[in-house]
Amino acid sequence: MTKFNGYRRSDGSVGVRNHVIVINTVGELSALARKIASLVPGVIPVIHHGGVAQFPEDYVQTLRTLIGTAGHPNVSAALVLGEEDDEIAKAIAVKLKEKNKPVRTICLNNNQTIPGLLKEGKEWLENALVKSKREIRQECDITELIVGLECGGSDAWSGITANPSIGTFSDMIVKEGGTSVLAETTEAIGAEHILASNAINREVGREFLDIVRNYDYRIKQTGEDIRSANPTPGNMAGGLTTLEEKSLGCIKKGGSTPLKEVISYADRPSEKGFVFMDTPGYDVESVCGLAAGGAQVVLFSTGKGSPTGSPIVPVIKIGTNPKVYEIMSEHIDINAGKIIDQNKNITDIGTEIFDKVIDVSNGEQTAAENQLNQEFAIWRLAESI
Amino acid sequence: MAYTFKGYLRSDGSAGTRNNIGIISSVICSSTVTNEIANRVDDAVPIIHSNGCAQLGDDFKVTKSMLSGVAENPNFHSNLLIGLGCETNQVSGLLDAIPQTKPIEGFSIQQMAGGANTVAKGVTIAAEWSEKIAQEKREELPLSKLKVGVITVDVDERTLKAAAPVVSALISVLLKEDSTVVCSLTKSLEPCGDLLAEKTENMNAREELWELSYGLNRRRWESNEAYGFSAYSEREKKIALEESNLLGSNQLQTLLDINEKPLDKGLYLLKSSGNLVETLSNFVSAGCNVALILSKEGVLATSNVIPCISLAPQNDGQTTRDYVDFYIDHQDAMTQTKVLLEKLIQVSSGELTALEEYELGEFAIPHIGTTF
Repeated sequence: MTKFNGYRRSDGSVGVRNHVIVINTVGELSALARKIASLVPGVIPVIHHGGVAQFPEDYVQTLRTLIGTAGHPNVSAALVLGEEDDEIAKAIAVKLKEKNKPVRTICLNNNQTIPGLLKEGKEWLENALVKSKREIRQECDITELIVGLECGGSDAWSGITANPSIGTFSDMIVKEGGTSVLAETTEAIGAEHILASNAINREVGREFLDIVRNYDYRIKQTGEDIRSANPTPGNMAGGLTTLEEKSLGCIKKGGSTPLKEVISYADRPSEKGFVFMDTPGYDVESVCGLAAGGAQVVLFSTGKGSPTGSPIVPVIKIGTNPKVYEIMSEHIDINAGKIIDQNKNITDIGTEIFDKVIDVSNGEQTAAENQLNQEFAIWRLAESI
Repeated sequence: MAYTFKGYLRSDGSAGTRNNIGIISSVICSSTVTNEIANRVDDAVPIIHSNGCAQLGDDFKVTKSMLSGVAENPNFHSNLLIGLGCETNQVSGLLDAIPQTKPIEGFSIQQMAGGANTVAKGVTIAAEWSEKIAQEKREELPLSKLKVGVITVDVDERTLKAAAPVVSALISVLLKEDSTVVCSLTKSLEPCGDLLAEKTENMNAREELWELSYGLNRRRWESNEAYGFSAYSEREKKIALEESNLLGSNQLQTLLDINEKPLDKGLYLLKSSGNLVETLSNFVSAGCNVALILSKEGVLATSNVIPCISLAPQNDGQTTRDYVDFYIDHQDAMTQTKVLLEKLIQVSSGELTALEEYELGEFAIPHIGTTF
């Protein structure tokens, strides 16, 4: 069985990074969270603008995502910034304490000054950072890994080179007892019957068709055609002509393993194997959901070249064609374009991806990490109140 | 007596209370690069947000028009638009939408073949603008050049009772000086929409305000319901009535939708949410060049484009907070109004607000729909 060296947490989960983060509970504290994080080099800000003036469906989704993010095995310690009597801050602290994860909540009260808040936050973070450096990697089984599968800025090569190679990787990791999570419900539209018929049983297939149908319904509610936004202008410049064509390429990332489970946005898979998470096709929100659901690494194929990463998980970029790899090399880790011009096949690139996932899990930095791409956005469902 | 402030007069007749360069991200995917450019240039402000792709219909329109409105804000001397390249919200589309009244350029990371090239080119362009800014000086301008936002967030009855005499008197003075005043219409004020309707001659606004008073109505998609509606309680109506006193007896021009700009002088209402940063950004997009934020205990975020004066009532026995600019106390309203007006003029003329001093400026675009 393949092994890697990760950080074993006291709740039994395994991280591939050891981040100390600052996270805000409501949008109003975003600036302060950013500021506190900037005081301690090495600390990562996880910033969002939700958590307030939201309908229950958004509130619940925001809370689930924040808990999943702060409690993620890649996070060594978390500083949570909340308002006075902040319910979100309390909920995050309770969950993290259950996991024995170092957490500190700073909630505003009548007697605090901004310099006081900054000092309190800075001191705790410096201490947490020192402690995190003492934690050491230990040998872990690949069965502990959950890898998210994502694509962004797709082109006509995506479904021919990078995505089928990711599919090969997915089959490999699942065969070894690990987990892969495909996402982006929008990009299953038109190809949903293929994935559904590959489900492990009728119920899972039905659940998958249901989330796609629900999506279709929401789209119709806007009075628009999804095809006006997807394929995007960039997808079309890259040679994709229809959403169906994009979807057929997108689902190739799932390989040929039967679909075991369908989960909600930012939910953790309850089983090992090949899983689908209901997320929008919007890359950053989708990666954010995958990470909050426990993925420690995300694979991201790109035809046009997309720099985005995540504050807490390494995102491995796979270029679909030789040109994008050449001109956007600072943002891309693997060149699947070698299938086009270097006589490599899908199995070769699938194996290269597998090796890269292990290297990155052992601590090798990805292009997005080197460039400090730490984008974070939670999928919003309804209008702000 | 006619009051004046010192600001930056723009070629379209508007006036800036600050003189900055907007480095505007078209989509979240270019936010890191956008931020990097802004970090390296004096006077540059990053406009980063989580929208710009996989959006449909009205939700996308809000994002695009908000960014275009922000670029137009008189506090920006010039604007640099940074895109990724493959996004829905194309830089070329934004360039077409933004009136060409000041220096503007835009390009994408994919077009420039990577983030490093984009940062290098962006820094070169913005640094040239920054040199020009260093030469510019404030000039004496009438208060009619001020567009003042008045935003209430997280208020209670006590706060509203204390603030109403001062805020309403300030609004009256500003209107007399021919300023434009834009007040937030949030969930807390909506229940008295029927009374507000009587303050305007605009028939559409009257009808809409009257509709809003019936109950909370926002777009949502849960359980396949396109709209979420719940009626307002008597208690909510009572607090709304207190909040409406902030406007005094002044007449309203009309009700503005998200991103809609006031077309004339006078008093306006702007549809807003309880999300402070999203609402502040909405006021920026509406063209406001300064704002007041009324809350019960002060707020910890401000706009990174316009200065916002934080107002809160003085609570007995409570230590003053270093991030509140103006405490409303028990002195007579006339005296306090005079001091507040003086503060507004000073801040509009360049004095930093508490939250500006602490660099707690933010930006966010409201979603009115889900992403796909």
